[in-house]
Amino acid sequence: MESDKIDMATKTCGEALMHLLEGYGVTTVFGIPGEHTLELYRGIEGSNVRHITPRNEQGASFMADGYARVTGQPGVCTIITGPGVTNAATGIGQAYADSIPMLVISSANDSASLGKGWGRLHETTDLCAITAPLTVFSAMVHNPSEVPELVAQAFTVFGSRRPRPVHIAIPIDVMEMPATGDWSVRTIPDKPVPGKAAIEAAVDLLSEASHPVMMVGGGAQDASDAVTELAELLNVAVISSNAGKGVVSDKNPLSLTGGVISPAVHQYLGRADVILAIGTEIAEADSFIYDLPVNGKMIRVDIDPARFNDQYPATVGVQGDAGAAAEMMIVALKDRGFDGSAKTTQADVRQIAAQQAADYTPVENQHIRVLNLMRETLPDDAIMMGDIAQLVYTGTPAMPTYLPRTWFYPAGFGTLGCALPDAIGAKIALPDRDVVAMVGDGGFMFTINELATAVEEELTIPIILWNNDAYAMIRDGMRKRNIPEIGVTPRGPDFIKLAEAFGCAGTEATNEAEFRSALKEAMARKGPTIIMVREDANWLV
Amino acid sequence: MTTCGEMLMEILESYGVDTVFGIPGVHTLELYRGLQRADMRHVTPRHEQGAGFMADGYARVTGKPGVCLIITGPGMTNITTAMGQAYGDSIPMLVISSTNSSGEAGLQEGHLHELRNQRDLVAGVSAFSQTVLRPKDLPGVLARAFAVFGGARPRPVHIEIPIDVFSQPTEGINRGVPVHASRPGPSPDAINEAADWLAGAKQPLIFLGGGTVEAAPEALALAERLGAPTALTINAKGVLPRGHALSCSSFIPYAPMRALMAKADVVLAVGTEMGETDYDMYRKGANPIGGKLIRIDIEPDQTARNYRADLAITSDAGLAMAALNTALEERGVRSDMAAGAEVAKQIRTDSEAEIGEWTVEHEPWLNAIQAAFDDPVVVGDSTQPVYTGNHIYESASPRSWFNSATGYGTLGYGLPAAIGAKIAAPDRPVVCISGDGGILFTIGELASAVEARAGIAILLWNNSGYKTISDYMIADQIAPVGCLEYTPDFLTIAKGFGCEATRVDSPEALSEALKTAHGRDIPTMIEVMG
Repeated sequence: MESDKIDMATKTCGEALMHLLEGYGVTTVFGIPGEHTLELYRGIEGSNVRHITPRNEQGASFMADGYARVTGQPGVCTIITGPGVTNAATGIGQAYADSIPMLVISSANDSASLGKGWGRLHETTDLCAITAPLTVFSAMVHNPSEVPELVAQAFTVFGSRRPRPVHIAIPIDVMEMPATGDWSVRTIPDKPVPGKAAIEAAVDLLSEASHPVMMVGGGAQDASDAVTELAELLNVAVISSNAGKGVVSDKNPLSLTGGVISPAVHQYLGRADVILAIGTEIAEADSFIYDLPVNGKMIRVDIDPARFNDQYPATVGVQGDAGAAAEMMIVALKDRGFDGSAKTTQADVRQIAAQQAADYTPVENQHIRVLNLMRETLPDDAIMMGDIAQLVYTGTPAMPTYLPRTWFYPAGFGTLGCALPDAIGAKIALPDRDVVAMVGDGGFMFTINELATAVEEELTIPIILWNNDAYAMIRDGMRKRNIPEIGVTPRGPDFIKLAEAFGCAGTEATNEAEFRSALKEAMARKGPTIIMVREDANWLV
Repeated sequence: MTTCGEMLMEILESYGVDTVFGIPGVHTLELYRGLQRADMRHVTPRHEQGAGFMADGYARVTGKPGVCLIITGPGMTNITTAMGQAYGDSIPMLVISSTNSSGEAGLQEGHLHELRNQRDLVAGVSAFSQTVLRPKDLPGVLARAFAVFGGARPRPVHIEIPIDVFSQPTEGINRGVPVHASRPGPSPDAINEAADWLAGAKQPLIFLGGGTVEAAPEALALAERLGAPTALTINAKGVLPRGHALSCSSFIPYAPMRALMAKADVVLAVGTEMGETDYDMYRKGANPIGGKLIRIDIEPDQTARNYRADLAITSDAGLAMAALNTALEERGVRSDMAAGAEVAKQIRTDSEAEIGEWTVEHEPWLNAIQAAFDDPVVVGDSTQPVYTGNHIYESASPRSWFNSATGYGTLGYGLPAAIGAKIAAPDRPVVCISGDGGILFTIGELASAVEARAGIAILLWNNSGYKTISDYMIADQIAPVGCLEYTPDFLTIAKGFGCEATRVDSPEALSEALKTAHGRDIPTMIEVMG
């Protein structure tokens, strides 16, 4: 990196920053240029970094989120201060809630004006305070020499601990200063490995357990092989959260597929005497209930020690990387000659699955029909980006998922409108994979403008639009509580016409065959395709 | 039983709230039960950012706070930008959100829509942000919010209510009666001193800001008594009547006005931040003021920002200007307006000459709006014709020309703010001016406008991309990156949303199209290729 050091001194801070990011492996940034970020863009020009322009900074942060979800690498946004940052806030909040690595680089007003309330263009009272609750840290740069350290700290967050967003704000005057200081790329440590004693304590519990259960979450996405092997060795049923779907393939007879929503799963969990929870918050957003019936002893494997004493306190807390923990447990169990093969787990799983299938409501069965068509048509490694939409809620337990980082439903923050821009970010990251977005008509409207971005970048993205002309989830809640239905039946636009106007294809699927062929065509077409399915369509009722 | 959510709506109604903008969520259902009882109009945007911008437009036209009902988490982060715009321009806005249940807040257990600290998020874009932990606290918190709107520098207020509190009973709670806090008047001593200075001034100069929009008669009387050339900030357009002899219009950042500022012996700045987006767009730094500066502001600290006052008067603009006028009358000041009018005319002519090169492209289109309507509401986004209009357009009345190029400087403001304006003033023509880059930020709100039967006209200035930014890049020797290569078919988009849409190729055709649009109860998009 010696040569970089020499080069940087001749560059401005903003320009050098792009080169530094390239040094950390950044290949793509999502941003809308502004008068305040011009120096960053000077840097893009001289680098190999690809720039994607969304139609609202909210799109930038969602795209970066999607990029990070499918790759595990941080998504990077380059945005202006003030409205750029507040627009991006929702996507940053989503990444925070779901532990997604994201680096937000923004401009800030002139150093001299900060905090003075002069009424500068794009001024905020305190820019970093806005993003403080959405990030691991949010830092204001005062001198270019601070930038390399802050960037290294950001990548340390992404690589070595629970990943979450970081915001670095650079005042426009600092952005233009020469890049003084040491701008070389620094070493990023690996994630910590659990201690032996904790592993032994966990294995003590597991080997004595008569009815153990495993729960896996997003923290296990990079530990699929080890976690699967551990589950097989233990011969335990695996319950995954939304974020944990695909860690253990739904082709595996131990997998209860995703979600902890169904009563059958709750019951099974309540019977467990030991629960091994790997990389999961066990959050309300997954189960829709605050208190899951947890009666057994809890082993929590997590990189974030705060999780060991949340609403499900751990009897044994194993702090460290999920994959390392699983591998160490496998070794320790084998050392003890552990054999779990006598358990009837596979039969239990089949029985729960049958119960779950019998419990689906008619509208959920409509969703499942469409989900099954998708599953049949899409390859196993297709990436499915879900919005906050009923089709996707049903998909959590019902959509078979075969590989990690292929099913996404950002349940934590619960943001309408995330699916399309997230899918764009995913497709940019992995152009050779099939990427599908699943949206409802209400949520789609939040970010429909990003169709223009998908067209501009010629991204092949089928968009499955579940149209029930309403915020159906909320409407149902109002009906249940005898509240008049206000604001939940927005007048729907002509989505097919909108698709054409944005330069993409749009079609309504009015039967199974049409859906199948529309999806196949969409997978082969350059640019996005809206495939609309009406909830009241004849083939679904 | 009346729940806390229902009581909230009843109290809002007692303060005169007739319209709320919001997207219901699982977390805010109880508010919607109250909405029916209070018989209020509910407008549903397609994104909470739209709710905030609509409330902003509603507030700018009426002076009443725009009220938003939103969910916690993403609802809050979605509306933050709109709160920033309202904060930057001192617009009253009440944002009521849910927050996670009181037993959950701050535990970071990963609850749906959880934010580590929602109030931190909005602290910088609100006058205050308050959590209501018990229903009995709510009447007092609302009273405090309306005290800000009515009695202080108006800015957004955020009230968050945990979802478990929404459904709690309110029996026995003393709601009190709505009290409308009045704004403070000026200290007599300060007025006397100011009157002495102004009475002795040979060349006084007045700046009127957005704080004077309720004080047009007082401002007119004072300007005429002093015979002082008077400059209007963008948010003060219309405070002096269109074409008034003393009006210097809004050319504040340009050389003629800067020279006058340096030359004037007493400068009176009323209800203005004297901030960058009006006074120093080109960041040349504060302009020297040769004489003395008197600042009148409702917020005392404002008189120490940007330009430090030699005499600072904390007061409502109208009360202070009326008092000054009386004091000047007592001192026998009665100026003939000829000298001031001559100066003002020179300022207008010289400024138009200075910037004519780039305003000439937009001027005929802005004139076409005035040819179509006597007193329209013109709501702008951050786009080039709006930048031009911010200097040359003269509004017939206050609260009728506003846009997001001031203060926070957002893109995507124009369309939703115009919807809010139309809902506030359904009989007035409302024209939105937006660029193709800006309108895409919030294009989903076309659906809201159709649903709300808002017959606005949208003048879409289509120059295929972020023109202002690509111009800057070229000037700074940066190859344009990210300034939008693909532009969609806006007319078909508008039709797809159920709007009328047409393209015009002359200002005359624009006038005609605007008149037709005003007669409709759905939006009309009128595209002009820039």
